[in-house]
Amino acid sequence: MLSVQGLSKSFGGVQATRDVSIDFPKGSLSAIIGPNGAGKTTFFNLVSGAFRPDAGRVILNGQDIVGLSSLEVVRRGMARAFQVAALFPSLTVREALSAAVISHRRRSWTLLRRFPLADTAGRVDEILSLLSLEAQADTLSRNLSHGDQKLLDIALALAMDPSVLLLDEPTAGMGTEERWRMIGKVQQLWEHTGMTVLFIEHDMDIVFRIAQAIYVLKYGQVLARGTADEIRTNQDVIDAYLGTDHHVAAQAGAV
Amino acid sequence: MNLDALAGCVSSSACLVTQISTALIVGMLLFMVTSGLSLIFGVLGIINFAHGAFYMMGAYFALAAYQLTSSFAVAFLAGALGVGLLGIVFERLVMSRVYGTDVLMQLLVCYAMILIADDVVKIVFGPEYKMMGMPDAFALPPIELFGGFIPAYYVFMIGASLLIGLLLWLGINKTRLGKTIRALAINPQMVGALGINTTLLYAGVFGIGSLLAGVAGALAAPTRTLTPGMGVSILIESFIVTVIGGMGSIAGALIAALLIGFARAFGAIGCPLFVDGLMFALMAVVLVVKPSGLLGREPAR
Amino acid sequence: MMRPGLARDAAVCAAGLALLLVLPLAFPQPALRDFLIYVMAYGLLAMSLNLLVGLTGLVSFGHAAYFASGAYMFGLLMQSGRVSIPVAIVATVAGTALIALVIGAICVRLKEIYFSFITLAFQMFIHSIILTWVSLTGGDQGLMGGIPRPPFLGINLNEGTALYGFCAAVFVACVLLMRQVWMSPFGYALRLIRDNPSRANFVGIDVVRAKLGIFVFAGAMASVAGVLLALFVSGAYPEFGFWTTSGEAIFMIMLGGSQLFVGPLVGAFLLQLLNRTVTIYTEHHGLVLGLVILLIVLGLRQGVGAFLFERLARRRQARR
Repeated sequence: MLSVQGLSKSFGGVQATRDVSIDFPKGSLSAIIGPNGAGKTTFFNLVSGAFRPDAGRVILNGQDIVGLSSLEVVRRGMARAFQVAALFPSLTVREALSAAVISHRRRSWTLLRRFPLADTAGRVDEILSLLSLEAQADTLSRNLSHGDQKLLDIALALAMDPSVLLLDEPTAGMGTEERWRMIGKVQQLWEHTGMTVLFIEHDMDIVFRIAQAIYVLKYGQVLARGTADEIRTNQDVIDAYLGTDHHVAAQAGAV
Repeated sequence: MNLDALAGCVSSSACLVTQISTALIVGMLLFMVTSGLSLIFGVLGIINFAHGAFYMMGAYFALAAYQLTSSFAVAFLAGALGVGLLGIVFERLVMSRVYGTDVLMQLLVCYAMILIADDVVKIVFGPEYKMMGMPDAFALPPIELFGGFIPAYYVFMIGASLLIGLLLWLGINKTRLGKTIRALAINPQMVGALGINTTLLYAGVFGIGSLLAGVAGALAAPTRTLTPGMGVSILIESFIVTVIGGMGSIAGALIAALLIGFARAFGAIGCPLFVDGLMFALMAVVLVVKPSGLLGREPAR
Repeated sequence: MMRPGLARDAAVCAAGLALLLVLPLAFPQPALRDFLIYVMAYGLLAMSLNLLVGLTGLVSFGHAAYFASGAYMFGLLMQSGRVSIPVAIVATVAGTALIALVIGAICVRLKEIYFSFITLAFQMFIHSIILTWVSLTGGDQGLMGGIPRPPFLGINLNEGTALYGFCAAVFVACVLLMRQVWMSPFGYALRLIRDNPSRANFVGIDVVRAKLGIFVFAGAMASVAGVLLALFVSGAYPEFGFWTTSGEAIFMIMLGGSQLFVGPLVGAFLLQLLNRTVTIYTEHHGLVLGLVILLIVLGLRQGVGAFLFERLARRRQARR
């Protein structure tokens, strides 16, 4: 379970996150939405230990993790995938994933045995099949298609056996059809593993279809929160989106 | 350690004056070399490991011009402009071809450049130590101050470096060209899109950075023995100055260079065998306490 | 898919050792033995540096510091007359590892370019200590009086063949050790760091500690290279720790290719060959070397090894 309390952060004079408090129940699937520059990625950076907040607490499984490095946060069970898939270009999918699994099991310092360790192969195959990356297993990461790169990025996060998974725009840069395939994968993962999943998403169709709870950020603040139906009819949200993104505005207003 | 000698010097105004003037010239020379290095890094994003070789070339150009003309003014100009030109040629023919490649390649071409420069100097001037001697124009009696004596040339050197530092600061902060150069450091595509010839600008910045090393070499020539390979030690010192002062800050470079100057001048009395160690200790402390340097914005780690 | 295992590498190393031992028997000129020992010492230096450059993405420009530390520590220990050769080697490696630990602790946190020039700065610091501490190191004359080689376990290294054989065996053992690290899970953690250090953090790798670990190991291996050279030339010289030695090691890596384990060794061989040829014809060896480097870097825009490797890969692909 993840609980964020009074999280604030400013850069120079700009308040990027302002007193954000959200409880994400264990095993929930929540979406973070908001116009460009609303502070969504900053929120992820604060939660995952990449940035240190000016104020507030982040409670992960009963422990305050503010001030811990991203490494320590990962080791406490929160993993993340990035908006621009951050990969290891010169390694194959299987190599990168094996190294991640080995690292998660605290065996990176193994010197006397050869890579990959035989007893991690099972877990690697499991993750590969969860994300349907088996066919790409021996492809160099840099040669993967955009969609497969995003999948590998998520696979690397999964290798950490996280209890909380943060996905920063898993469908960024994809066509409609590919988006639905990706989000189907995410939903399937969530159902299969029982993780608490937070994702940032621009496509309202997707958000309304799969998220259990939706949080709308604007100017670093929580503008609205609720289920798909509540958000759809929320006047603040409709106002916030009007003029910024007509597609979304039309979606929200249509109901 | 010889703290008695240090205390003795500090309590004698004559010794104090001498050591302070030494500290100032060491610091100002270092400042000019470092500001050139820092300017090139700030705009082009590369560390010119051959910068020390340019300093050496400046000294040798000055020496050659002085031997030909016996005019210090000509020698100074030869050192400054000769090295500036050399910098532009080096940038165009060599450095510009390794932009965007990994550090390894940049390091290698600089390494090659230093090897070539050292050997060319050896071939042209010979491997032995060279002295330029004090130019006639400065054959004046030393200036007496609080019982200590400062050679007239030292005063000129300190004044000249301060003036050049000031011109550099004004040029970068107060002129249109300076603004363009600062913009180039932040967003080269934008500057290019405005119809400004960025290739020319890069070469120009590299030239100015090298020119500063040449100026330092030419100014140092009358006070130092010249040897092939003299550039390496000043390169190392200017790295240390960069770390202490903060990358990209001219004021930081000045303060750090003077700090090193004083550490050297007084360290030579207090702990002569540990002068280099003193500089490294200073650097290590700064790296631990304030990784971005005294006045730098970008942290070194 | 067959993975090359430790057993296979050990077999390759044994074959390599056999070849190294047979060569001087087939061609008994002392010049060959001399050449091979230099290739081994500098090859070991370059290969150990490549654990940082090619495997971890840390471009150290000060690796020769540990080479020099190895040569001087070993030489001084042997001159003290109190220890046997194996004990001196172990003590030298441990001592150098300690120096690398202190310097590395400061350097590995730094950004790429700062890392390069601060490692260079520390190397020049060590070089200046060697030059100024004349009573211990002999200053610019180098360690005077030769390095004694008392027999141990029935091995007498004052005899040329034994000395050569000993150097070859130590060299091959170190290569095997480095190969094991290169292929171990730790080696792959380092590859993650090389490819994307901040992401490596997010897959649970302690980037700073891993970098420090390989920095110390690479320094220790470089010290063995220094020991081999000191043992062979029976002395130690400040040039071992001069920046040009680090520059040459980097050039060897580029010549042979940083992504191939044996690349730097090939580079060391080529550079020794070049050096020896050049010194026959001219004393301006720096000028020639500099021009060769410029020619290769600007002509191929990459290392010779990488160039050939890519060519080969492309041809293989075309054949398919």
